[in-house]
Amino acid sequence: MSEQVHNRLAMVRAERKVSRQKLAEAVGVHYQTIGYIERGQYNPSLDLALKISRFFGLPVEALFSLDPFQPLTDEAYGRKQQ
Amino acid sequence: MTSTRPTRYDRNMMRLMNDPRGRRLYATATRRRLVVAVHITLTTALGALMTYAYLADEEPAWPFVVMVVVLLPWMVATGAINGATRGLLELRERVLDERQSAERSHVLARAHRVMTLLLATTAAGLLVMGGVDGDAPMTYAAPVLIAVLVVHWLMPLWVAGLMAQDEPGEDEEVVV
Repeated sequence: MSEQVHNRLAMVRAERKVSRQKLAEAVGVHYQTIGYIERGQYNPSLDLALKISRFFGLPVEALFSLDPFQPLTDEAYGRKQQ
Repeated sequence: MTSTRPTRYDRNMMRLMNDPRGRRLYATATRRRLVVAVHITLTTALGALMTYAYLADEEPAWPFVVMVVVLLPWMVATGAINGATRGLLELRERVLDERQSAERSHVLARAHRVMTLLLATTAAGLLVMGGVDGDAPMTYAAPVLIAVLVVHWLMPLWVAGLMAQDEPGEDEEVVV
């Protein structure tokens, strides 16, 4: 089973100016694990996904999705996909 | 990481395994492959010297002197592979996170498969040697057993070294 879980972790982390190290320490994982999640090379457990979401104060579906995320500008200005 | 608190030993080992000083040695896949190849070569050299010392009629001292010399770069290569894997096989399970635990299981499973093939080949080789020369399996049993033991011990390290991935960069393209 290797379903691709898409995520916005790198974008949200950059927006909040949080380093991988800081996020990793906050959720109790190695900093490389955060990088692997961002690269799509590792799908976090539900427990870890919830911890990351709680760290950013966002619902889990704002960070992780089974479908690719739309660009934020499309979401903000309501442009429909062609 | 699990809820059990890491001991001072765990913390020291984690610091050691994440020490950035040697990272140039294993920064790319090519360098990691090279380090693993050097480690295998040095291990083979050590095994060959040990076998020679065991099978030689006289008791030469020089193989032991050379073994001590070869052991130093072998230890450096071992440290480099452990650094590349961030101590995946050296750290206790309780200080590994979920991704590292899964990776360790993956490495051990793959090493087990490779060892099974290697053991089957060794057993077949000994049987064939026994067919050609009846005394051969008994003569070579001890060195072969030691070689198998060493390979069994080191195979997970080599597999982990080859499976290790590049350090994620801060501004690289990410999956969205």
